Amino acid sequence: MTLPHEQLSTSVSVASASSEVSAPATAPKRKLRCSVRGAKKSFGQNPILRGVDLDIEEGAFAVLVGPSGCGKSTLLRLVAGLEELDEGTIHLGERDVTHAPPRDRDVAMVFQSYALYPHLSVRENLAFGLKLRKTSDKDIDERVREASKMLSLGELLDRMPKQLSGGQKQRVAMGRAIVRRPQIFLFDEPLSNLDAALRAEVRVEIRRNHDQLRATTLYVTHDQVEAMTLADTLWVMNGGVVEQKGTPLDVYERPRSEFVAGFLGSPQMNFFDAKLEKEGDRWLAIGEGARIAIGEERFGAALTEGRTVRAGVRPHDLVRAEEGQPIAGNLHVEIIEALGFEAIAHGWLTASGPRVIARLDADEARKAKSGDSIPLAVTPGSAHLFDPKTGLALDAK
Amino acid sequence: MRNRAIFLLFCAICAIAIPGCGEPAKSIVLWHAYRGREESAIELLARRYEEQHPGVTVDLLSIPFDAYSSKLGAAIPRAHGPDLFIDANERLGVYLRDGLVAPVGDALPDAEVGAYDKTSVDAVTLGGVRYAVPLTNKCLALYVNDALVKSDPKSIEEISRLRASLPDDVYPLAYEAPNSFFHAPFLYAFGGRMLDDRGRFAFQGEAAAKSIDFVRDLTLARVVPVEPDGALVTRLFASGHAATAINGPWMMSELEGTVSYHVIPLPPIEAAASSSTHGEMKPLLTVEGVMLSPTGAEREEVRAFARYLAGEDSALLRAGLGQQVVARSDVWQNDLIASDLKLKAFHDAARAAVPMPTSPAMRAAWVPANQAIVKVLRGDAKSVDALEEAAARFADAMRPQPPPPSPAPLLVALGAILLGLAFYAVRRAQNPSFRVAVRKSMPAYRYVAHAAIVIFALVIVPLAAGALASFFAGTETHPLYVGMTNYVRILTARGGPLLGHGSFYLTLLVTVLWTLANVTLHVAIGLVLGVALSRPLLRFKAIYRVLLILPWAVPSYVTALAWKGMFHRQFGAVNAILKALGAEPVSWFSHFSTAFAANVATNVWLGFPFMMVVTLGALTSIPKDVLEAAEVDGATRLQRFFKVTLPLLKPTLLPAVVLGAVWTFNMFNVVFLVSGGEPDDSTDILVSDAYRWAFTRDAQYGYAAAYAVLIFFLLLGGTRLLGKVAGSEEGIT
Ligand SMILES: Nc1ncnc2c1ncn2[C@@H]1O[C@H](COP(=O)(O)OP(=O)(O)OP(=O)(O)O)[C@@H](O)[C@H]1O
Ligand SMILES: [Mg+2]
Repeated sequence: MTLPHEQLSTSVSVASASSEVSAPATAPKRKLRCSVRGAKKSFGQNPILRGVDLDIEEGAFAVLVGPSGCGKSTLLRLVAGLEELDEGTIHLGERDVTHAPPRDRDVAMVFQSYALYPHLSVRENLAFGLKLRKTSDKDIDERVREASKMLSLGELLDRMPKQLSGGQKQRVAMGRAIVRRPQIFLFDEPLSNLDAALRAEVRVEIRRNHDQLRATTLYVTHDQVEAMTLADTLWVMNGGVVEQKGTPLDVYERPRSEFVAGFLGSPQMNFFDAKLEKEGDRWLAIGEGARIAIGEERFGAALTEGRTVRAGVRPHDLVRAEEGQPIAGNLHVEIIEALGFEAIAHGWLTASGPRVIARLDADEARKAKSGDSIPLAVTPGSAHLFDPKTGLALDAK
Repeated sequence: MRNRAIFLLFCAICAIAIPGCGEPAKSIVLWHAYRGREESAIELLARRYEEQHPGVTVDLLSIPFDAYSSKLGAAIPRAHGPDLFIDANERLGVYLRDGLVAPVGDALPDAEVGAYDKTSVDAVTLGGVRYAVPLTNKCLALYVNDALVKSDPKSIEEISRLRASLPDDVYPLAYEAPNSFFHAPFLYAFGGRMLDDRGRFAFQGEAAAKSIDFVRDLTLARVVPVEPDGALVTRLFASGHAATAINGPWMMSELEGTVSYHVIPLPPIEAAASSSTHGEMKPLLTVEGVMLSPTGAEREEVRAFARYLAGEDSALLRAGLGQQVVARSDVWQNDLIASDLKLKAFHDAARAAVPMPTSPAMRAAWVPANQAIVKVLRGDAKSVDALEEAAARFADAMRPQPPPPSPAPLLVALGAILLGLAFYAVRRAQNPSFRVAVRKSMPAYRYVAHAAIVIFALVIVPLAAGALASFFAGTETHPLYVGMTNYVRILTARGGPLLGHGSFYLTLLVTVLWTLANVTLHVAIGLVLGVALSRPLLRFKAIYRVLLILPWAVPSYVTALAWKGMFHRQFGAVNAILKALGAEPVSWFSHFSTAFAANVATNVWLGFPFMMVVTLGALTSIPKDVLEAAEVDGATRLQRFFKVTLPLLKPTLLPAVVLGAVWTFNMFNVVFLVSGGEPDDSTDILVSDAYRWAFTRDAQYGYAAAYAVLIFFLLLGGTRLLGKVAGSEEGIT
């Protein structure tokens, strides 16, 4: 069996010298498959993309996340050639495709609505793009068989799209992209029309397919879990610019801004307006009923006494204080969401302060009830600090 | 509330179904088709008569001319028609056959005959019995433009000599040459006639041939314009582009305020003079008179009123106020009237005229005669051949019906069908589950009952009546059962060659060709425009949309007439454009291909907006991302259209295509009004052919009904077939 990437790799060239991708330090530098430079795009008077740089390495799985309307789909459509850039360039491989029509770009796209051809059977849907490219019948047959085996489409090949379930349609849409063996796969929220259980299943399948094909992929999603589990590199967009890129864990653990910190992670990070104070040799962020211990080594010189900051603690790092642990605050419980293995407690520290979310063990959750007051502790070194004006993290590096 | 409505409905049905159940009318009911001054005159007369005869009331009813005789035919036998009506003498033959008129009796006593023009009285006398009291004479005379003609022409030849002195764009003589009514004076000048004494076609032989050849020479010499219709003749004369014109008194009202002219009787043709005649042009004379319905004729006061209408006082008023060429010779002694020289000229012309034949056969004679004239004038045939063909066509239309077969086979068949249905119904009714189902859906039936009744009354009943009519020949009033004869004659091409002139199969072939050509073009143009209009970046989209839908909003006959004008050989816009481009002008209606193309062009103009609107609607239902998916998959714009858009439009377009095909198959207006079957009935489609059998070829309603039934079954079969094709596509949506 010939895998797509084997064939494709022949067309790959050496990446341009300007490659400044921040690949994980451990991985060797690889060739760039897709690079977008200084992309700007407006619709009418509305600037949607305000200068985006995006690089995807050969065989990498890049995931684009960001709030609704931040321009993810627009960026994806620019790469596909469905929209034209106002400024900037797009390279696929070493080719400048900034002004090329989609059919000259050799990309494949999976739409949120699947966009199957309603008048063609599944087999014809798969073969459509190949036929347009005058691929021989034998090749088409073989590739369709391959893809249908990979996605277990065998029994569906002769059905019409309207005879398929949502998940089946989704698989056909992916199959249609796979048989094309394109330079790059583009996915625009491909799972958002599926129910939760199916979404988890297909998510794994997508990852498996990618591991098998090693096909370069740009994947847009809303979903935290998809973003974290699928991505080699995560790109967080906000308001038409890239806020942060990096491996998912890196971005999760070291968000560069208050926005990224709040956007990634569920439930959302708790934020407090606080002042930095030194108590003995410990740094604390104090405000709105919270006394949060700060890890000195992470912030270094940024820590000055009396500085106002935004302190952020993920709910999972805000837990019931054990005997002898410093109390970060007392949670007045309003609601407890029991998830089984753990529980999420919603409430506040002071009546005027922000709403606060903390994690409880399943045992504690059983005891606790609405109206209780629970002493909380912060996992050491887990607090994030941001500049209240710029929103940027105060990390030393 | 509801009960009252039902009661009213019941009364209305009774009033329609039970004729004459109201009070017998005391007043005198007069029907006429007059307009304008003639109508004012007749109204004034009726009021005067009422004043002079207290206790008598006269009800006037003005009926549109088009519907006039069919209304009479429908109303009089059912006793809610008029007591008396004004109509032309040439209809007398038909009315008499159908029993719509009675002798006038003392409305025109022998003693008063002398006061009328002799030709006028002759025109309303059939078999020695007078059937109308003459009111007015209408015949052709010569209009002479005072500025262009110095002295009254003494002959047609003198008129044609004007050619040399007149500017190029002024014709010496304008008249409706292709119309045999206008040709008749030429025919009579050469000693020919339209019908012989026994009502047989007589427009043939040497005299007829000579008369047509004479006119053809006039046309070739540019004395007479090519193929003008009535409107064009009026326009040419009114604008000073015709020195003289042959026309009836009806043109006078349209010339008011245009050129200065006078009227003289038609001059003779020198070339036609022989030892026996001086070549006099004798126009056909239409005499309008008061006719009495059989019931009206029995009433003394009705006859008295008829006498009054035709009488001297009335004649003076009708001549003065109504501008009528009254049919009384005594009135013309009156200086006041005689001083109207134009009217007097028409009256003089009437003296030399030939009364219009009253035989019903005349109706079937016009069209073949016209066709023969047109063929010769266009140089498509020799006059002798063309006339022979015309005679054959007349004979074909007038062919006597075979002896009536026994109605038994039909009755047996009908009985068998009914029996079968009854048997089926009983079997169904016995089925208990069926009964339960019926009882359950009873409330639903109540909701659809009124619609079902209306559809039954307005659709099913006429359909059945039409189908029944196809088993009959003869007239409405004297139907004659002929069984399947009509069908047999149609399907055997009336004994002629299967694809011969006017055969069902040839017409069917033309109809299918017509439908295919039109629907193809409708869909193609509609698609292209629909797709073009749906492009998001197009500017002024709304304006284009309105402009392109406009042809649809104009009534189709208006469009058809406008296009017919545009295709006129000499004065049409299409040829003007061709000429401006340096091409030869085309005589559009003298060849099948060009006439057919003209029809198709008109109908395409009328039909594409529908397909465009359907396309526009269907396009909005095509998801944008499917097209984008195709784009990413590598499809060019054309490939996207043919491989994605078109297949997705298909389910919506197919029903529209079926509908369009049915409309086009039956598109009577365009064919009838644009080419009118020209040349030589070859562009007729099945419906327009059926129309001709019913209305221009001796009123063969049964035969036409059989056509209609065949058309119905053809369309039924055709749409079922298309429906199957559409059904197999259902998987798409
Ligand atoms: N064709 C268009 N014309 C005008 N505005 C557009 C067009 N396409 C997108 N936009 C606007 O551009 C902005 C970004 O749209 P985009 O679809 O890229 O957002 P997104 O990040 O994909 O959001 P979501 O997560 O909701 O899909 C939105 O405000 C949208 O209204
Ligand atoms: Mg989107």
